[in-house]
Amino acid sequence: MKFFSRLHGRAMKAVLVAAVCSSGIAAAQDFASMGISDLVGSADRMLQRGDYRTAIPALAEVINRTGALTDPQGRETAQTCRFQLARAYFQVGNASEAVSVLEDYLANDPRPQERTALRMMAQGFFDSENWEKIEELSLRLLSMKDLDKDDVYNGNLLLGQARFRQEKWAESVAPLGIAVNTTKDPRVEQLCQIMIVRALVEGEQWRELFGWIPRIYRTDSKYDITLNLTLMKAGRARFEDDDYLNALLLYRMVLPREKLLAFAEERVSALVDKLDADAKRGITEAETDERRTEIENIRESMTVLEELPPYEDEVSFRIGQIYAEVRRFWEGYVLFDELYKKDRTSEIGEASMLQSVLVLYDVGQTDKAEERILRYLKERPDGQYARTLQTMLLRDNLIKQNFARVVEMLPNVQQLPATDDPAELELQTDLHYMMAFGFFQSFDYISAGEQFTEIIENYPQSSHRADSVYYRGMTYLMQGRYSSALPDFQKYQAENQYGEHLAAALFREGVCYFGMEDIEQAEATFTRFIETYSDDLLISEAYSMRGDIEAAKEATNDDPYTLDRALADYRKGIDTASSSQQASYAAFQAAKVYKLEYKWQEIIDLMQYYMDRWEEQADVAEAAFWIGQAQIELGQVNEAVEAYLDVIERFGNDAAQFGVDKIINELVKISQTHLSESDREDLALKVKLKLTNIDPRYEVLRLRLQVAEALLQGEDIAEAFGAELLEAGTPLKLTSPSTLALMCDAAVDTGNTEEMKRLSEYFIEKFEESDLLWHAYRAQTFMHLADENYEETLRSIDEAQGLFGAEPFMGWAQIIKADTEYRMGSLKEAEASYNTIMGVPEWRGPLFAEAMLGMGNCRVAAGDLEAAHSFYQRVYLLFKSYDDGQWAAKGYLASADVLVRMGEEEKAVNTLKAMLEDPYTNTSPLAEPVREQLKKYEGQ
Amino acid sequence: MNKSVFALTLAGACFLGAAAQAASLAATLVMPGDKEWEGSILSRDGDWIEFQTGTSPRPIRLGASTIKELQFSIKLDQDKLNEMNNNREYERVITALTSVLEPYQEFADIPSNLSFYNSLLMELYYKTGNYEKTREIAASLAVDDRDAALQLKARIFGALALIDAGDAERAEALLEEYGWNEGLDSAAAPEKLYIAAKLLALKKEYADAMELVAKVIAFNSHDPDWMQPAELLCAEIYMELGKENPVMLDSAEEVIREISLLYKDTDEDERAQQLKVKIEALRAELELQKTIEESE
Repeated sequence: MKFFSRLHGRAMKAVLVAAVCSSGIAAAQDFASMGISDLVGSADRMLQRGDYRTAIPALAEVINRTGALTDPQGRETAQTCRFQLARAYFQVGNASEAVSVLEDYLANDPRPQERTALRMMAQGFFDSENWEKIEELSLRLLSMKDLDKDDVYNGNLLLGQARFRQEKWAESVAPLGIAVNTTKDPRVEQLCQIMIVRALVEGEQWRELFGWIPRIYRTDSKYDITLNLTLMKAGRARFEDDDYLNALLLYRMVLPREKLLAFAEERVSALVDKLDADAKRGITEAETDERRTEIENIRESMTVLEELPPYEDEVSFRIGQIYAEVRRFWEGYVLFDELYKKDRTSEIGEASMLQSVLVLYDVGQTDKAEERILRYLKERPDGQYARTLQTMLLRDNLIKQNFARVVEMLPNVQQLPATDDPAELELQTDLHYMMAFGFFQSFDYISAGEQFTEIIENYPQSSHRADSVYYRGMTYLMQGRYSSALPDFQKYQAENQYGEHLAAALFREGVCYFGMEDIEQAEATFTRFIETYSDDLLISEAYSMRGDIEAAKEATNDDPYTLDRALADYRKGIDTASSSQQASYAAFQAAKVYKLEYKWQEIIDLMQYYMDRWEEQADVAEAAFWIGQAQIELGQVNEAVEAYLDVIERFGNDAAQFGVDKIINELVKISQTHLSESDREDLALKVKLKLTNIDPRYEVLRLRLQVAEALLQGEDIAEAFGAELLEAGTPLKLTSPSTLALMCDAAVDTGNTEEMKRLSEYFIEKFEESDLLWHAYRAQTFMHLADENYEETLRSIDEAQGLFGAEPFMGWAQIIKADTEYRMGSLKEAEASYNTIMGVPEWRGPLFAEAMLGMGNCRVAAGDLEAAHSFYQRVYLLFKSYDDGQWAAKGYLASADVLVRMGEEEKAVNTLKAMLEDPYTNTSPLAEPVREQLKKYEGQ
Repeated sequence: MNKSVFALTLAGACFLGAAAQAASLAATLVMPGDKEWEGSILSRDGDWIEFQTGTSPRPIRLGASTIKELQFSIKLDQDKLNEMNNNREYERVITALTSVLEPYQEFADIPSNLSFYNSLLMELYYKTGNYEKTREIAASLAVDDRDAALQLKARIFGALALIDAGDAERAEALLEEYGWNEGLDSAAAPEKLYIAAKLLALKKEYADAMELVAKVIAFNSHDPDWMQPAELLCAEIYMELGKENPVMLDSAEEVIREISLLYKDTDEDERAQQLKVKIEALRAELELQKTIEESE
């Protein structure tokens, strides 16, 4: 840093007292022979014309003669000359002599120029860099009374510099501050400011430093290269000490190199021009040297800066890091973003990319983060942070349960280049592991299993390997591949004595045996589990599973108590349950066992026990359903009805209690099967009364009661009510499964695909456990069908069938499946699907006829007309009565049509005649056009 | 002391010689071709100006529209003015400045060095929340293209006044007119980024606003003129974002801490402290809401 060593301020004037200035001219060489007055006069004239060198011996001679005088005038003359002699020495560059003379001056009286003398003396010590002396002198100056502005300014300037050079950082700031505030010289102001900053940095006086910053950064001081280097160095030190805030504020003051160099270049150029101009005008050698030194110093600092390795990006990166660290996320983000934009492939660019994404996740801008990640992966699939960024993306989506997004990333994971870097390998397994869970949660167990296998086979050292074995077993289990799952669960147990999933693996082992129908092993495994892990969360389920096994056993004379053991297990299942779901399973399974044994009172007692044990967490509606069933069997129909009505009223306003909807359906069934006409009327009246008296705030209950009322009045009324609800735009939040079921059916009946979508989505999302959920799948299926989206149609049917199988109400799914396959040209699959219908006795009825007709259609499309004819014949021979002969009529027509195509026109005519004679079909609307056609054909 | 009397006293203290200027106004007349006359304006009669030069025994009459520029000699006690400004006694400065400029108002239509003082007034009106007056002055200065820096300043304050007055539509139109709605990248001028950020914040587009104001801070940290207001705006927007993501409330508090450290005893510091109180209230509100949700 450049320190200036000359005083600035008021110019010193040579003024000699009038008393000694009145003498004549004398030759310089004759000082010793001159009289005192002439001598003084000569010295004065020399001083006035700036001939300091010649004045020196004259003044020295005066002092020599007057120094020992004691009278006031003599002392005054000696002192005046000492002062002027010191000044002359300064002017000729002899500071040491000047200082020596000034010491004499200050040691004697009078000292009218004491302040100036002190300043001059301090200045004299600049060359010898005697900072202690300068400090001492400036303090002496500042301690004097009645100082003028210049003295205050100069004293502080000297003191500040002296202390600064002695590295008395804290003590230098105040005097330098006064100098800054007083000076009118911008150059002094700038230099003092730079010293202040350096002193505050070195003294780690951050608060004071930051107080100065706004002020300094309004001046050109900010362009000083040394200042910037000091700040950068201090910033780094603070950063490394984890003092982020101070590091940040220091770093962000550092200007870019090109700005500093440009400013310095300009400054040097201005100084050189000025020096040239002033040199022509005439300035002292000392002044010239000083100016040259200043220029040289700037040039040196420029060289230092130019030779410095690039620091801008590193500084920006660190600032970004600090911003992120102190939670000023967006400031960090824009810096990282800029660095990345500047150079996407450099190390710092890539690191910035990573940091920017981290920040975006911090601020919840996940879409933006993903967009950046995907762009990066596209540009640099093998980039340094490709794996890290993908793990971030996958993790975020897993947390948000956006599993579809996770599995979409598979191609990106697959295209990652091979690596042998241990950290990258761990990241790679993270990716496979998360990908596996994405697939698992998307119910794609095959793909999930593949990802777990990848880890098991290719990353044996991975921390995820053990869990992958367990979860791969789970993927097999979920696919019903029990024999594949079993070794994984066993392997996990064998290899992980203290594994997190040890108990679960044993339990699943039991489930596998059960699935493989190795009941003996299953029972033994569940028993082992019960004995080993009595406190595990799965204990209740183990009891229930063993209960199921016992319940399935046939009682023999040797072992007559299987059901008793099953019931004992179920009761333990209720007792040990850690969730209401576990308890509910055990309780309702037990109820089924009691039902097998016709133990109705036991059912009632068990349900009471279950409800007492689980209180408000119990599935009260389901329990009430079982109690009601038992009461009916005990002949207590009215009690059952009352109990059902009570449950509907108590829990009916909570849409989530979908057991209430089950009870509504049960109530309708009881009404149809167990109640007399008058009892039915009574029941309808009771429902109506409840509706009349209902609290208007209970809107969900109101709807449920309305549904119950409609269902009790019959299917047509219920359908109409469903249409009414649909038309009224009933808010979804008021609906429960029973209302939604009616509305879904109404949407299908009216072909309103928008409502089919809205209702089915809501139904599936909110009530996935409901017995009535198939209505939602039906609506969803019809919606896809209307959109001619056959793939989705089949997917929807698969889901519905996965949940409800071949229940009596599920015939629609199988017939649509077959029809869709037929439309897609998958004739074999379609025929097989039609054929499946024939194998489900519960679907006997018009559906059989429709399926048979469909099989015929498949054969026609396949060109096998004879077989087709045979199917059509079966339709009108076997299913005459269905739907008022409608299917039989269709069979006749299709049969005739195929005969024509076979060239058997006569047989075709006979078939049509048979249709017109058949009492089941001759009144069908399809018969009339046939009749007309035959008339034409026969020429009538 | 009576407030108005005090203000008069202050005016006297700050603007030396204002009373002497009341009768005739010392000025330099600059005519086309840059010919200058020292003298004083004696009076104005419609478009006619009566000007007395120092040498001529008789005043001359000139058409106002023929004058290129008037340079009034306005003597100010700059130190006093600075002191008041530093003490943030803006209303007092406005009163005093308005008072001393009053005799010159009838020459407002002629280009003059009054623009500088008017720009000071504009800034002061903005600081005191008088956006109507700010815009009024800004509008007149913005059309004066003699001094590009002053013109830019007028445009900036004009836009800021519209935004602070809540007039997003007109502010948006103005920014579009100036082309300040484009090129808002890291190299953009800090004032442009700052104004655009303010406008977005007004429109409650906080994330986008935050990105822009963050650019002011990240890329213009050596510019104390824009850093100060930008830091405050940054804290304000972090607080808004904190309503959705409470982590951002920490961010807002961090910015406030830095404002207090770097810009102590400034308007921004004062407003940051007010913001801190708001954040505390917001935190309490969020906490309460959380407790209620948990109890439900």
